[in-house]
Amino acid sequence: MPITNRSYWPVVASAVFAAVFVLLFLYLEEQWEIAVLAVGLVAALYSAVRFGFLGRIEAAASDHPRTTIVVNFVAALAVIVLLRGEHFALLMLATVFLYVTVCLGLTIQFGYTGIVNFAGIAFFGIGAYTTAVLTAHTGVPHLLVIIIAGLVAGLIGSVLILPLLRTRGHYAALVTIAFGILFRTFLEVSDVLGGPQGLKVPGMQILGWSLNDNISLGPLGSVSFYASYAVVALLLAAGAYILVKRLERSWIGLNLDAIRTDETAAASFGIDVPRWKIFAFTVGNCLAGFAGAVYAMMSGFIAPASFNFGDSLLLVSIVLLGGSGNPLGVLPAALLVVVLPEKLQIIQEYRFLLFAVLVILILRFRPEGLLPRKMREYFAAWSRS
Amino acid sequence: MSEAIRNEPILSVEGLSVRFGGLVALNALEFELHEGEFVGLIGPNGSGKTTFFNALTGIYAPASGRVTLSGEDITGLRPQQIYDSGITRTFQRLRLASSLSVFDNLMIGNHRNLDQGIVTNLFARRRLEKQIMENIENSRMLLEQFSAPLASRLLDPVSQLPMIDRRRVEVCRALISQPKILLLDEPSAGMTHEETRALMDDLLASRERMPGLAIVLIEHEMGVIERVTDRCVVLNYGQKIAEGGYRDVANDDRVRAAYLGED
Amino acid sequence: MDLGFIAQYLLNGIVLGVIYAMVAVGFTLFFGVLDVIKFSHGDVVMAGAFTALATYAGLELLGLGYPTFAAVFITLAGIAAMALLGALLAKFLILPLRNAPPLNTLLITLMFGLALRESVRLFYPNGSNPKPFPQLLPDLSLSLGNLELRFDSVLLIIVGLGAIIGVHMLIERSRIGLAIRAVAQDPETARLMGINFERVVLATFGLGSALAALAGVTNGLYYSEVNFGMGLLLGVIGFSAAVVGGLGSLYGAIIGGFLFAALQTIGAVWFSVPAYKDVFAFACIIALMAWKPTGLLAAKSAERV
Repeated sequence: MPITNRSYWPVVASAVFAAVFVLLFLYLEEQWEIAVLAVGLVAALYSAVRFGFLGRIEAAASDHPRTTIVVNFVAALAVIVLLRGEHFALLMLATVFLYVTVCLGLTIQFGYTGIVNFAGIAFFGIGAYTTAVLTAHTGVPHLLVIIIAGLVAGLIGSVLILPLLRTRGHYAALVTIAFGILFRTFLEVSDVLGGPQGLKVPGMQILGWSLNDNISLGPLGSVSFYASYAVVALLLAAGAYILVKRLERSWIGLNLDAIRTDETAAASFGIDVPRWKIFAFTVGNCLAGFAGAVYAMMSGFIAPASFNFGDSLLLVSIVLLGGSGNPLGVLPAALLVVVLPEKLQIIQEYRFLLFAVLVILILRFRPEGLLPRKMREYFAAWSRS
Repeated sequence: MSEAIRNEPILSVEGLSVRFGGLVALNALEFELHEGEFVGLIGPNGSGKTTFFNALTGIYAPASGRVTLSGEDITGLRPQQIYDSGITRTFQRLRLASSLSVFDNLMIGNHRNLDQGIVTNLFARRRLEKQIMENIENSRMLLEQFSAPLASRLLDPVSQLPMIDRRRVEVCRALISQPKILLLDEPSAGMTHEETRALMDDLLASRERMPGLAIVLIEHEMGVIERVTDRCVVLNYGQKIAEGGYRDVANDDRVRAAYLGED
Repeated sequence: MDLGFIAQYLLNGIVLGVIYAMVAVGFTLFFGVLDVIKFSHGDVVMAGAFTALATYAGLELLGLGYPTFAAVFITLAGIAAMALLGALLAKFLILPLRNAPPLNTLLITLMFGLALRESVRLFYPNGSNPKPFPQLLPDLSLSLGNLELRFDSVLLIIVGLGAIIGVHMLIERSRIGLAIRAVAQDPETARLMGINFERVVLATFGLGSALAALAGVTNGLYYSEVNFGMGLLLGVIGFSAAVVGGLGSLYGAIIGGFLFAALQTIGAVWFSVPAYKDVFAFACIIALMAWKPTGLLAAKSAERV
């Protein structure tokens, strides 16, 4: 087995740095402070790449994959605890984790397998609407509801499998675009699903404990109910991250990469292209469905306006911005795309414009994203195996 | 000529035709390959050589004809089934995954020997890691037979390798699963004479180590064909116009006419 | 349902078909020369309509708002502005990404479309609301039973079809058309033959975008209203039409455009809730993709192995 001899301190340092940063980002309210932070994040990422800190952090993370996950998980929990009373900040944090989950699904589909999904938000929406319907009409326990919502998203996605398998490139892009628009239009006109007004969704209950209750901690003050959702969303995102990482480090991940880079060559070496495309597409959609279910319970109300084609574009952009195929890049990218417009009210009105310009600049000048993907490392200390 | 020819052929192709709309790209081709044989496939551009490979490997569906491998009918099977039955190939325009490492590319070629179960891959990490370690060793050994410096670059991305090493990786990708038949589609394209010579030496050496392996080589450089092949098949306009030892074929009037007609 | 009623649907369907075909021809032209999808195309349609609208406001200020003159003038202004925009887009966003993965081009143009849309919403006076488009065509109509034959519909059909035929003739008969076809066939050879590749690409993008502007103005005149978001759906429909017809094929784009309009019309007649027409049309598009994965008339053959 591989020898491990590099220190894990760079991982801890980066996790602490990230946690402090996220905390400030969510907590501060002055516009100039936010602007400084946003610029600071870009500068920090840039210098981390430029001066090789990133390389050292990545090398350490590669040597200590378990420690990396645990440390970052603990850091995220610490952020939630420190923000315990802040409703809005926690809502945003939970949203970021849910978007991260969906984008990890897209990473499997697009980053690895090369299936572009321009209907990401539709599968998120399917999860949300499934949750609304199930909670309104059945007494299914909520944890099970989340699982069913994910499976339904995967199942409905299978309608697109035949056209997706038969088409390539732009033709395949059309299939998901058409589906995304179809889904949105369908929600608008469907009376059963509440039409444009949408549906109400009850709060999540796990084993008799309602997540919608604020928790009082006596002298520590009360904890926002959004903290509970943030923890649930964090668990979901962490689970998705572990899944994606394990996939990448396995023969399956290799199959998916082979299909993305060259389908004909992949098939010529025995890789069952349809099977793995179906696998990747379905797993990705399930992740979106899980996230949608939690989102529905957290926001208490869902409507077609939350599932626009533009939101699907936002999701694809997060994946590209982070660095296509690098699950780690999804987090800073989601943070920027989701939180920055909410925090910077000056740009609130201009957020789509700025965001469009930002993505154009990235595609034009740094097409590999903020954190470009590295070579596959099957296990710890791979480069010294 | 090698003595293997007296045995039953491992691959026999009878009346294989491929059509694209009205165009007959391959016309009733008869072809036999014996264990351990090294056959050159020559002919002017557009004569159907690559089409033949594509029809054999399931990329194109044949319009008619029959292909049998060791007595089993493999006509019209899908590419992955052809690979599983023991035929591998290289491509005229390198089709390596250049963003992936050399090891990853070799492992794509070794697909049929890798555990594809979802449970193993996602949950049984220990078993998987053992398999990975074994494959690293195998890949190193295979690469070393071709070029020792290349073996030390096992974990580097293919995009950082020079052309000749990429060709070597592509050949190794086709060899690592220990196929019965190796189809080489113009491996000298884009390389110098010296590089081609080196690659052919590697190939001949690896043939020594895999005695049963039969090779079909598409090649434009007649010097290469003369040096390495046991037998040649000449195609023109999708039809076989000559077959035999290099010298016989090279002196055949129809072959000369086909090449002169091309110029 | 009587004959006049059906004829009315048919007529409306034809107007839509002409608009869609004009958008789809752009998609197919761009794909033909460069193998790219320019997804901002729908927003160029919108921008064309808004350019015409702004030009009209200018004409009115100058006291030159005579309907017929204005109709021609603002159409030409929209066409010229969009042709320029199309060429600029090709030069600065699309050509530089030529060797990047095709998805990057698709995304960068999607984002450019978003930027265009947002710019109109934010910077056009009161741009976030639907804007009335001036009625510049004579308000004549002929009543035949239930069929109301509007003069402007007929004129728009004639102009639209004329423009599509014009583009077709340009591609088939002119020198620049020959160059475009040469590049579409084989860019490398065309370059070796001394064709200025970049100029051909810019010309093609200009031409396609000009057609988009015409589609935008037609759309505005027909519905008497434009809004900043109209391009998104029009773009997706135009893209669907081009893809279903077969990317790279001019006839395919025209057939696709009319097919989509037909699907919407059938959907509107079939379902009691007219809003289901888009659900129906897009569901049919997905089914069509499964049946004919490279479109009805695929102009480009499968990849070389």
